[in-house]
Order: sequence, then C-alpha cells, then structure tokens
Amino acid sequence: MNWDKDIDEIKQRRKLAKQQGGKEAVKTHHAKGRLTIRERVDTLLDKNSFDEIGEGAGVPAYNEAGKLTDFQPANFILGFGQINGRKVIVGGEDFTVRGGSPNPAGLRKSVYTERLALQYKVPLIRLHEGGGGSVGGTNNEKDRRPLGDPVFSQSRFVPLAETLSSVPVASAALGPVAGLPAARLVASHFTVMTENAAVLIAGPQVVKRALGHDMTKEELGGPQVHLASGAIDNLATDEADAMAQISRFLSFLPDNAWAYPEKLACQDKADRCEDMLADIVPTNRRQPFQMRKIIEAVVDKHDDGKGSSFFEMSRKYGPSLITGLARLDGESVGIIGNDCMYYAGAMTAAAAQKLRRFVDFCNSFHLPIVSLVDEPGFMIGPDSEKAGTIRHGTAAISAVLQSRVPWASVQVLKAFGVAAQAHFGPDGYVLSWPSAASGALPVEGGVAVAFAREIAAADDPAARQKELEDMLAASQSPFPRAEGLSVHEIIDPRETRPKLISWLRLAVAAMQTASPGPYLTGMRP
Amino acid sequence: MQVKSEIAGSVWKTIAETGADMAADDVIIILESMKMEIPVVAPKAGKLTQLHIAEGDMIAEGQLIATME
Repeated sequence: MNWDKDIDEIKQRRKLAKQQGGKEAVKTHHAKGRLTIRERVDTLLDKNSFDEIGEGAGVPAYNEAGKLTDFQPANFILGFGQINGRKVIVGGEDFTVRGGSPNPAGLRKSVYTERLALQYKVPLIRLHEGGGGSVGGTNNEKDRRPLGDPVFSQSRFVPLAETLSSVPVASAALGPVAGLPAARLVASHFTVMTENAAVLIAGPQVVKRALGHDMTKEELGGPQVHLASGAIDNLATDEADAMAQISRFLSFLPDNAWAYPEKLACQDKADRCEDMLADIVPTNRRQPFQMRKIIEAVVDKHDDGKGSSFFEMSRKYGPSLITGLARLDGESVGIIGNDCMYYAGAMTAAAAQKLRRFVDFCNSFHLPIVSLVDEPGFMIGPDSEKAGTIRHGTAAISAVLQSRVPWASVQVLKAFGVAAQAHFGPDGYVLSWPSAASGALPVEGGVAVAFAREIAAADDPAARQKELEDMLAASQSPFPRAEGLSVHEIIDPRETRPKLISWLRLAVAAMQTASPGPYLTGMRP
Repeated sequence: MQVKSEIAGSVWKTIAETGADMAADDVIIILESMKMEIPVVAPKAGKLTQLHIAEGDMIAEGQLIATME
C-alpha cells in the first residue's frame, strides 16, 4: 500500500484545472481575439515564474463509485510570479468558465488576492474580464442555508481599499468587465484597457430595461468613454501592449510603501542641455507650444538612447494637465505639466481630480515631483462652474500642499490665479524661465476689467488698453521676482536638466534619511 | 474619417481648403480659445472632403469640424 493513487489524482486534477472552461469555450474565446487568463499570466510574467495558489480549488463531479470524473476549476486564477526579476502577485477571472462570473472557489480565490498582496507586501496586478454576481447566486444560493455572509465577516472592500496605500496596484480590462470586477479594476494606481474591452456598472440589457437606452456595451463603456471619464488611464493596442504598459508602470515603483524606489544606472548625461529649449516658448502669448517636448528634453532618455523615459498616464482625462512617470538621473520621478493646447492649460474639474490623485499616488510611493508650470488659472465659464471646478481645484491644491515628497517647479510661462498654487509644493525648489509671467490673473483678461473706466474714457480706448497691458505684462516679468528671491533661480531654459538633477540628488538624499511608510491624509474640500 | 474639436472656442481662421491632400498633423483650422490660437490638425494623412464650419463660428467641445477620407 502506498500513496501512488492519490499522487496520480493530484496529477489528474492539475490537468483538469488547466482545461479551464473546456476546449470549445477556449476556442470561442480565442475567436474573439482574446487570450485566456493563463495565457495572459504567461505573457505578463517572466518565463516559468508563475507560482500558482489554489490550482486544486474548484467544483468536482464524482461517479457512483466515488471516482472523480470531472472538475470545473475555480474561475479566478491567482499566484505569485516575477516581472523583470521582481516578485508580484497576479490574479484574474477565467472568462471561459461562466463568463468570469464567480463560481464558489473562484470567489474565494478572488477575495484572497488583495489579502495576499497586503500580507507579503508585493505589487498587485489584476487582469480582468468577467461579470459580477449573478442574480441566481454563486452556486444555487436559493437552496443554501444559512444564506449570506455572517454579519461579523469582513467586507472584501476593506483589503481592496488598504492595498492602495500599501502596494502598487495595476489592473487591465481585457474584455467586458462589469459589476464587482469593474469596481476592483478601478481600485488601482494604474488601469489600462484594450480596444475591445468595455467597463460597465451594468450591461446593455439592464440599462435598456431601466432607462430605455438601446446601446452596445462598447458604446456604454468602451475606451472612448472611459479614457475620457478618467476610470481608465491608458489604452493598449493589444493584450501584449497592456502587459508591457503594466510592467513599465511598475518599473518606476518600489515593492511597497515601506520602501523607496530603486535608482537605476543612468546612461544619459546629467549636464545635457537641449538647444531647442531656448526658443520653444513663442514670444507671442497667443501661440501655443508643446509641453511634452519640454518634458522629453529634460528627463532621461531610454537606455537604448531612443525616445524618452517619460511614461504618460491618463492623457485623455483632464487633458489640460499632463501627468506621468519618468527617470531623472536614474531616479523615479512624477512629472506634471500644463498642456496649453487644451483651454490654455487651465485647470478644469477633471484636471484637478487627475492632479489630486496623481499627487497622492506620488506621495504613496515616495516619488519626487517635477512640475512644469504654464497655469492660466481655473477654467472659467458656465460649464466649469457647473462642474464644481472650484471645489475640485481647491482639493487639488490641498493635496499639493500636504505633499511630503521633494518638489521642484519650473515656471515655463504662466502661473496665474489661485490654481497656480497647485504647481508649487511645500519647501519646493523653484526655477524660472525668462518667459515666465506671474500674477493674480493674465493681463489680457485682467486689464479690461480692472481699468474698464480708464479705458472707456481714453481718446483711443484700444490704444490705452494695449498700453496698460504692455505695462502690466512687464510687471509680471520673472526678473524682479528673482531679485526678491521669490524664485531660487532664473535660468537659461537649456540648463533645466542639469539644475533639476543637482537639486534631485540633494532632495532624494534628504528624503531617504527618514523611514518610509504609508501616506494617509485627512479630509480635503 | 471625422475630425472633431476637443475644445470649445471660435473659428479664428480656416487654413486648409476642401479637396486638399493632407499629411498627418497638417493644420485644418485655427480656433481661438481662452485667448490662444489652437490648431485643429489632421489626425492621419488623407483628403479633406468637407469643412463643416466657417470663420467666426462658435464651436462646442466634440463638434464636427471636417470630414476626411
């Protein structure tokens, strides 16, 4: 007598688990141009690094003799693995079993994901495709007694929320994602979706019944909707690109909030000065410029020498503000910049919420922030008032001024109004370009209001307005501010990279004298 | 291919004419928005088949500016 029979059964069960929803279901899934969850995990992780948890969890079927005949695996795959040699935890629904709507074992594994990430303090990646609970319950719940979870059980949203202040969380939507999986998807620091994915609170049939809208799931929650809504940060060209973006995002971050980000060896010269920076800002204030070109000229180039290390996030949401991660002197930094191509770079309600979230994220993982400033102020007008921009904007300013990471601001052009405060962190290092202009509000709008009577009374009102505007524009010059030490330095724009790197070396050394830990703040407006 | 405005503003100047062969990023019109001149560009190369706006028109966010093929 030995254990051979049982050991064989382990083998058989593992084989059955790998079948997922069966050959036909997998074939149908592939025909939609989608990978299975196991293929996704393999695409994401370093080769052969997946260390699965709960492979044997599922729903067995036995014959009359008590022999295992079939096995429906848990439709949530979970395990540890490595990305570029760094430990992560990864989980995701198996759409080939019940369309990803949880079966009992799948639900248990799914709920365990965040707890594992918190226990081992490693980055968490969720690859979503599936629906939430079914009205029929997870497993014939109508016949189950006792019904429901006990009142003293912990809500799954407790660990879900806690992960955000503890470990980096990145999630992908790789097909239809609805209900609870959609909520988990957005409980992330970075979200990416493919072209054929949709993120929905409820699907088309439910929406039609309740509201009468006849819409496809793509119309309801496709990329065009959720890149602009801010629920999703980035679009991926395909599933491999989604995995590549997640890997790139995580490359900037420490394993958890109790560690600092790793500094990489940097091939790019610290004293590199790009000539194009000298005249990238037009002298005509009506003409826009490309802030992204400035960012790319300042941050490290990729080690292969091609392109920049800048990784932009949430481009389509609140597009008057640019947010992303980059390397500077090999250090991970958060980058903020105004994009004057959208409403002159004015802070809209969406841009304010994007900024607040980004600043909190940088603080959670100890990323110094570099802000490239061209802020004309809060967005004005009826739409902006209706959107509550003033409250969202003030909350963003609060987040910036509660910030505890090193902060540098480069005033490229405008810094006007209350919204300008959102670009200067506490004890920040401030550089000013010669093109910088600061004040309560831009002269073009302000002069017409403040000097209305004087302009009207002039012999040539247009000429008087121009004269006043020129006079006040001169007073907004950065030179008097440099004289008064209102900025650390007024610089030749070409010096931006070397100046920032000199500061960053000091700032990072100072930051790292303290022990890092989670970032928690109080209430904001 | 429909070219829509991502911002609200007024049409300051039309640059390209109907029938023109456009390269990606060629300017179709210039909007005035928040006292700045913001170009609306061809997202891809193609022929400009129709302009749906005229100089001076007020433009809403998402409004159709031009059709290209």
